[in-house]
Amino acid sequence: MAKDMKMTKVEDNSAGTRVKRGVLTVVINFFLWFFSLTCIFPLFWMLYSSLKEKRVFNADIMGLPKEPTLANYTKILSNKDYRLMQSVGNSARTTILSVLLIVIIAFIVGYILSRIDFALNKPLYVMFLMGMLIPIHSLMVPIYIIFSKMGLSNHWYTLLLPYVSFALPMSIFLVQGYVKGIPTELEEAAAIDGSTFSKTLFGIILPVCKPILVTVAIINVFSCWNEFSFALILIKDRALYTVPLGLKQFTGQFTSDYPKIMSAMLITMAPIVIFYFAFSKQIIKGMVAGAVKG
Amino acid sequence: MLKSIKPKKWVVAAYLAVPVALYVFTVFAPLVAALFYSFFEWKGGPVKTFNGFANYAQLFSDEVFWSSFWHNIFLVIVCIIGQIGIAFIVVLLINSKVTKLQGIHRTFGFFPSTISAVCIGFIWQMIYDSKRGLLNYFLEKIGREDLQKVWLNEPGLVMLLVSIPLIWQFIGYYMVILLSAVSSISTEVLESAEIDGATGIQRARYIVLPLIKNTLLVCITLCVAGNMKAFDNIYVMTAGGPGYSSMVMAMYGYKVSFEQSNLGYGSCISVGIFVLALAVIGGSQLLMNYFMTDSYDRREAKHLKEIEKARKQAIKARKANK
Amino acid sequence: MKKKVVSILLATSMVATLAGCGSDPAPAAEAPAAEAEAPAAEEEAPAAEEEAPAADAGTTTGDLAYSGNISIMHFSTSEESEGNGGSDGFRTCLANWQSDHGSITLDEEVLANDDYKTQIATRAAADDLPDVFLLQGMNTISWAKQGIVYDLTDSIKNSPYASQYNMDYLVPFTADGKYYAYPALTGGTCTVVIYDEAMWKEAGFDSFPTTWADVEKAAEYFSGQGIDTIAFGNSGQWQLNSCFVSCLGYQYTGTQWFSDIIAGTGNFEAPEFVAALTETQRLFHDTNIFNKDFNAVSNEDAREYYISGDAAAFIGGNWDASYIQATLEGDPKKDTTKFAVLPQAADAGKYEKFQNIGLGYGMAISAKVAEDPDKLAACIDLCQYLTGPAFSEFVGANYALAGFCSSDVDLSAFDQYTQDFYNFSYVDNKGCEIYDSYVDGSVWSVLNTEMQEMVNGDKEPATVAADTQAAYKAYLGQ
Repeated sequence: MAKDMKMTKVEDNSAGTRVKRGVLTVVINFFLWFFSLTCIFPLFWMLYSSLKEKRVFNADIMGLPKEPTLANYTKILSNKDYRLMQSVGNSARTTILSVLLIVIIAFIVGYILSRIDFALNKPLYVMFLMGMLIPIHSLMVPIYIIFSKMGLSNHWYTLLLPYVSFALPMSIFLVQGYVKGIPTELEEAAAIDGSTFSKTLFGIILPVCKPILVTVAIINVFSCWNEFSFALILIKDRALYTVPLGLKQFTGQFTSDYPKIMSAMLITMAPIVIFYFAFSKQIIKGMVAGAVKG
Repeated sequence: MLKSIKPKKWVVAAYLAVPVALYVFTVFAPLVAALFYSFFEWKGGPVKTFNGFANYAQLFSDEVFWSSFWHNIFLVIVCIIGQIGIAFIVVLLINSKVTKLQGIHRTFGFFPSTISAVCIGFIWQMIYDSKRGLLNYFLEKIGREDLQKVWLNEPGLVMLLVSIPLIWQFIGYYMVILLSAVSSISTEVLESAEIDGATGIQRARYIVLPLIKNTLLVCITLCVAGNMKAFDNIYVMTAGGPGYSSMVMAMYGYKVSFEQSNLGYGSCISVGIFVLALAVIGGSQLLMNYFMTDSYDRREAKHLKEIEKARKQAIKARKANK
Repeated sequence: MKKKVVSILLATSMVATLAGCGSDPAPAAEAPAAEAEAPAAEEEAPAAEEEAPAADAGTTTGDLAYSGNISIMHFSTSEESEGNGGSDGFRTCLANWQSDHGSITLDEEVLANDDYKTQIATRAAADDLPDVFLLQGMNTISWAKQGIVYDLTDSIKNSPYASQYNMDYLVPFTADGKYYAYPALTGGTCTVVIYDEAMWKEAGFDSFPTTWADVEKAAEYFSGQGIDTIAFGNSGQWQLNSCFVSCLGYQYTGTQWFSDIIAGTGNFEAPEFVAALTETQRLFHDTNIFNKDFNAVSNEDAREYYISGDAAAFIGGNWDASYIQATLEGDPKKDTTKFAVLPQAADAGKYEKFQNIGLGYGMAISAKVAEDPDKLAACIDLCQYLTGPAFSEFVGANYALAGFCSSDVDLSAFDQYTQDFYNFSYVDNKGCEIYDSYVDGSVWSVLNTEMQEMVNGDKEPATVAADTQAAYKAYLGQ
């Protein structure tokens, strides 16, 4: 789309306009760079600070490390209590399955709520809206009681339930809002061609919704990966620990060792952040391409 | 809504059954349980004593809870302006044709949303730190040491200070949502506007804004909902302190449940949060519908109403005459 | 191969230490690093470990009828145990017990202390406690009332180590005259002034002042130098209670007032307690003794101010003392670091050299375990072992600390720092209670939160006392 915009040009080459345009270009780019750098700066700061020793860090929290050391990392990674590979495996499985389910369910429900007129449409819509208002932190006890009474806690699939369910409201809204913006001619034309509901849903609507579904997926990937509270109360078995929980297994109360905390945080984030940066081009493309023209 | 196509009822029901069942079980069962517990005096463990509406009576007169509620409202307002407002501007700028390296801005801009709240809170704690923090360091560099403060210990400022990280973290989040919405606007529409000589601001106001109205409404709803139950970032930075100066409702519920082991009252607070959040969301929806309807449409609607009124009066008058 | 050698070495050293010879224990500072790896290594090599318990000071080894799983939840994470003698001893003894009882599998859940508190409260509420867990003193009465913790009175009285128990430590775990936990980990002070003798000499004091008036004088000097006199961190809100007021209060109230509070007949609005709060507010708000950001930093941050020399003293608990010791290893500052009790407040009527000491957590057993007598016997054996002589001797020999069981500590084997701290904690001063080991979380939550405002100057001490009293009454009215 950006390319398309650049192509159009209402040529007006008077000197004044050119200067104005030049100034605007500089201002806009400057602002955006400022914004982007504040967003990314903490990552660099954490990266280089994690290479410092605690005392060096405390003396100067901004400066680059003069004698970089990997001690913090080796210390964490060599700790057997952490069981890094196992927890990464658990987190990856939980995250991938959750996000897949979220995307599929949100797509179907979001579409139906946006397009199909039936008696329960509005009540369902409101019900899903209400889900966003549940304060989970003060509801941890009921959640624990229900899960353990039903025998649902402490299985490999346990975390899928809350991760998918609590992500649904937001995801459904995004899909629903997006579908509203798609012209109904698409489906009407398909119906005339004799396409069934399911065929239209997956064959015609799904590709059109790709941008919003990619958006839904990336937003939820990170929240699933980072989630801690549910994992804390619903998982007991060490073999099922996710990354954030696994890390908590051995960190004690040394909360003033900031470089070490940063190392631990970076290790937790690493797989997902590497994934994000490696595929950011495709992700962004998916997010904005495939939109309906019309 | 689709008018011409009506899929079979059982098809729709089949598609909805599993998601709805899963959702109701996981999301609403705990809330219903909390509603039940909220009528008991319950300090943890198996012993509960029914005490009717005593917890609710306490909730109505609990000053801490209500000041927390206003803190949540403050957060909602600040974050709608900060998160969605800035995100909207950033989206427009990124899509501007003079912008170079759009991909990088998109990638970097979303980055803060990928980090856990604990991490965000921790980073900003370092920024606000009074001895070594960035903010005081900066003030020292520009020679305004008189402005240096123990930032997170200022009761009057602390709510604003804890909302800045929240804004910062979620700009990227709303940015991607808005980006995908803007991408659905046909480029021809924008181009023709440009040919008409519309300025950037005009294009944003009259073309982009109305076309992404639905998504914007969703964003605002998400923002209200998210901030009515805010917890993580603030918990890491101040844990509600100093005193109750940055206490928000969900944190108060947590504190009552876990620090004071008063689970009956804690459940009551959870129910209260839910009801209040529902009310605020309802109110915000009404407001949004009002503002989002074009003033022209509004005038038109008013005009139509007046005509209708006049017509009815005329009919009445005619009847009376007979 | 290398791993095996290490574990054999460790096992051997443990035989020596556990046997309680005490003749040549590793210097305390080296011990933590070496021992920290022990539990992990032992799991790998139980064979090498088998001899250790045999040489051990009295285990009830191998005669348990139970076989199966025992779930245990605690907060001695491996990182916590580096430099913290109590955690280290706990982990070591737990690993020993496990390798001793091959037919029993311990399902361990280890969480950092904050998460532990949330998790155990959730489990208690759901009546789904782990078989064995650490009970916090202030939860004893309400959980005992709920019937979710097993009454251990008889097992404690008939314990093979009963003669060595320090019965005072049982008070926080007593409800209606019954005991509900074996006091665990190590008994340590919650309020100690840690100061750099050299810096105070420069300010004109040979040792830490004994009155706050003198501290204020010193503060003038230190402010001139651009450093804080005393570093303190209260961002968690509990610190001001546990590590300051719970000790300063005794200077005003003496011992009777808090005994009344425990008994349920006390009064937080008593003038002497309000006076203690008023003095606390004055010290934090009206003088420049403390670092300005005391309410925004944690005790962990504040002790770094001391370590880096930005503050001349620090007030904290035994965990801070052991952290500072481990961090200052090899630094001359370690030799000039000394300990003192809180100075005397001018209007304090009942001054003594108070320091609040106790065991905040005890090993308790879920009431449900009683359904299976064999399992119960195994759980009791585990609790007795982890709080018994094996533990005391380990922490005594390696860290000069004491637990529920008394043990002889050969002080001469330790460095000056450890010796000084031992004398401070167990010999020289008058022990008093740690407030929040008693009563109930609902009371302390109110006091702690409001005191944070109070020391900012935003709340009157009398109001704080009144609100706390209201919470206390609500608690008693249960």
